[in-house]
Amino acid sequence: MNKENRRIIFILTALCICFAVLIGYMSYFQVFKSENIKANSYNKRLWINEESILRGSIMDRNGNILAYSEEKDGTMQRYYKYGNLYSHIIGYSYREYGKSGLELAYNNQLLNINENSAIDEIINIVAPKTIGNNLELTIDHGIQERARNLLKGKKGSVVAMNPKTGEIYAMVSLPDFNVNSLREDWGTISEDNNSPLLNRATQGLYTPGSVFKVITTAAIMNTPNIETEYECSGSTTINGYNFRDYQNKAHGNLGLSEALIESCNTYFTEKSIAVGEDILRNTAADFMFNSSIPFDLPVKNSSYPKGNLGKTDLAASAIGQGKVLTTPLNMAMVASSIANNGEMVKPILVKNVVSTSGKIIKANRTETLSVAVDSLQANSIKEMMIGVVQKGTGTNASIKNVQVAGKTGTAENPSGKSHAWFIGFAPANDPKIAIAVILEEEGSTGGASAAPIARDLIIYGLNNIKF
Amino acid sequence: MFNKSVSTKSPRNLLFLFEILSLFLLLVNQWGNIDKTVYYTWIGLILIVYISNFILNKISSGDNYIFLIVTMLMSIGIIMIYRIDPTLGMKQLLWLSVGIAVFYFTYFIIKYIRGWDNWAPLYIGASYILFLMTFLLGTRKYGAINWINIGGYSFQPSEITKLLLIFIVASYYNKPDMFKKYRFSDYILMGIVYSFIALLFLQKDLGTALIFYGIFLVIQFIYEEKRKLILYNIGLFAAGGSLGYVIFDHVKVRVQTWIDPWTYIDNKGYQITQSLFAIAEGGFFGSGLGLGHPEFIPLAYTDFIFSAICEEMGIFAGIGIIMLFMILVYRGFKIALSQNDKFFRILAIGVSLLFGIQSIIILGGVLKVLPLTGITLPFVSYGGSSILSSFIALGILQVASEDLSYGEEVKSE
Repeated sequence: MNKENRRIIFILTALCICFAVLIGYMSYFQVFKSENIKANSYNKRLWINEESILRGSIMDRNGNILAYSEEKDGTMQRYYKYGNLYSHIIGYSYREYGKSGLELAYNNQLLNINENSAIDEIINIVAPKTIGNNLELTIDHGIQERARNLLKGKKGSVVAMNPKTGEIYAMVSLPDFNVNSLREDWGTISEDNNSPLLNRATQGLYTPGSVFKVITTAAIMNTPNIETEYECSGSTTINGYNFRDYQNKAHGNLGLSEALIESCNTYFTEKSIAVGEDILRNTAADFMFNSSIPFDLPVKNSSYPKGNLGKTDLAASAIGQGKVLTTPLNMAMVASSIANNGEMVKPILVKNVVSTSGKIIKANRTETLSVAVDSLQANSIKEMMIGVVQKGTGTNASIKNVQVAGKTGTAENPSGKSHAWFIGFAPANDPKIAIAVILEEEGSTGGASAAPIARDLIIYGLNNIKF
Repeated sequence: MFNKSVSTKSPRNLLFLFEILSLFLLLVNQWGNIDKTVYYTWIGLILIVYISNFILNKISSGDNYIFLIVTMLMSIGIIMIYRIDPTLGMKQLLWLSVGIAVFYFTYFIIKYIRGWDNWAPLYIGASYILFLMTFLLGTRKYGAINWINIGGYSFQPSEITKLLLIFIVASYYNKPDMFKKYRFSDYILMGIVYSFIALLFLQKDLGTALIFYGIFLVIQFIYEEKRKLILYNIGLFAAGGSLGYVIFDHVKVRVQTWIDPWTYIDNKGYQITQSLFAIAEGGFFGSGLGLGHPEFIPLAYTDFIFSAICEEMGIFAGIGIIMLFMILVYRGFKIALSQNDKFFRILAIGVSLLFGIQSIIILGGVLKVLPLTGITLPFVSYGGSSILSSFIALGILQVASEDLSYGEEVKSE
């Protein structure tokens, strides 16, 4: 073959390879990328297809319907039965504003869209789907409503969950908004400085303050040969920076247990130096700091500062100040792990996805995320937390006939008004409910303002939830 | 010269069947508000395609498959365009008829007039005149100045210049000695082609510039004895491309939206993302004719016709179209390999390259494999000048597929 023909064939081969690459890429695109691309909210077809399917209902653990759809004059109407109450959990689904919450996370299940294979596609052409699946939540409508009422008029969040199974009973974030009148209120809602669209329970990052001492306590227990006795004079200076106790109160001679019960700042700042930054950071990591918590809704990662900390920063971290940030959900899980012998379980919000015929299509099962502390340590921390409520800073959370374990927190933050925290669980000997309460920029101590809310909710929960 | 023992009847009948089936689908889809034009279009399309294929079999001794492939592509195109907008579909059918007439016209002209390889200066002059006309009379359409309006009809001069380029390059390499008397003779052709490309850049017609470059580079690769010129060519392209990226905002925008269209989904990336939505939504089998939403895709009947087809007829139909182009290119190269007349051999390569490169650029563009450039998919997209120039090119290829040794004899006398 001459040179010319060889070159012609070379070019022909190159062109054919180009065509083959296009064919290959198209197949690759269809198999691996199309699902994600189709789900983009800018895809107008999404809405057209969706509007012909009756969106599934969402109900709480007792079968109360919280959101449902109805066909009206040929279009699908979505109704949110409780306006504000589930604005951050269920969220909304509006053509103009997109989707949020479970409406977004479980969109395909609610619409029964499942186009993973060519066969599904054919089935869809032959018999188009018209009714979506329902969601059964772990939420208890009663405690959810109660939690919102207790929080009313404040900014903040409450998370109540089962420490053993991870089921979320209540998750409230205030301020919230009315999902039903989103169209009318959108302007005000999206411009409000208090960010009502933010789900504070999972996405609000707060300085934990003294509730973080539960983790520091675990870190002290993890430190071999540490001297646990300390003489508290009400203030101490570490590396030139002065740490004080609340109202400069001198607690006198303390062990670890008394230090937690009295929430002694100077004790934990001093001991953090002996613990060292590695142990404290690793213990925080065991409680899911700096790692993502798998959940049905998007969760911001709690953060514990990385890198070489100075002694001052380390001491500040030990009392939950400085650069430590956490979400209310994470703190509810911290309380849960102490209640659950040290095992931190995955939080669950959607119990089951159920088809219209009642078949369970997808179920969330209890999973252990992390063993935060061993069961012996968990038990001693539990004893200390019982002390907090019996005779320490958390007495406002105590309940007659039920032993409550807890920890208060009063977190200083840039706003100047401190956050009030309470985390805890009850009954202490057989924990059924774990709770985290935060009142944002409340300006009072956790013991004074957050503990009573936790107390009321625990009473309500123990009496009313079908566990 | 091609083996006539292979019957062209059965693919012709398959094409007939395809048209009947798909038009039947359209009919079902528009049931309830059918007007007579549907029937006219239906009958018109089938008759035109069937009869023109039939006639070609009788008059041409060359490769009859290329015309069959092209009419298949056009049928898919017309059905899709008709589904998007019946008025445009009717017009496209009209263009198809004109295109086929032009094809036969070109076929006879090219075949019976001798001396095409002697008129290089004419082609060069005509090209510059066309460019000049574009700048003087041109109107801006979708960001590029490449349309001119004459008496209510608009056309794209660059469609004709593409063909002239092929003639220029073919005449040059057919008789390289013709230019040898000038100084720097090696660089004359390169200079001309690069001036074309520069003019296209100024018109913001990046897609056509790429086609020009591709055709020139490949023919140079095959026929240029001075191999270093090819290296210069590639180097110049790299330098020019980088310079274009720095100087021209429209080049930058194309590259940006190619790398990440999702960030600019509201404006610059809108077209390409809508195209990807459509292709993704179609899946393997498509949503079905009339059941998709090609109206969401901008320019669904021209540049993005492929995305619209993929949405409603599925990835498999898309793969079919790509394969049709592949076979068309393959047969074009086969024609070139068996043609004895060097000028027509280069013409055949040029035309095949035109079809091949143009389809690869626009297919790659709508699939986000390549940066998006606004050019048409040959024979499938809506558009008069695109169809006419493609049919002229096909006519040339048809002549090239025949045994032209008679002409050789005349020359050797």
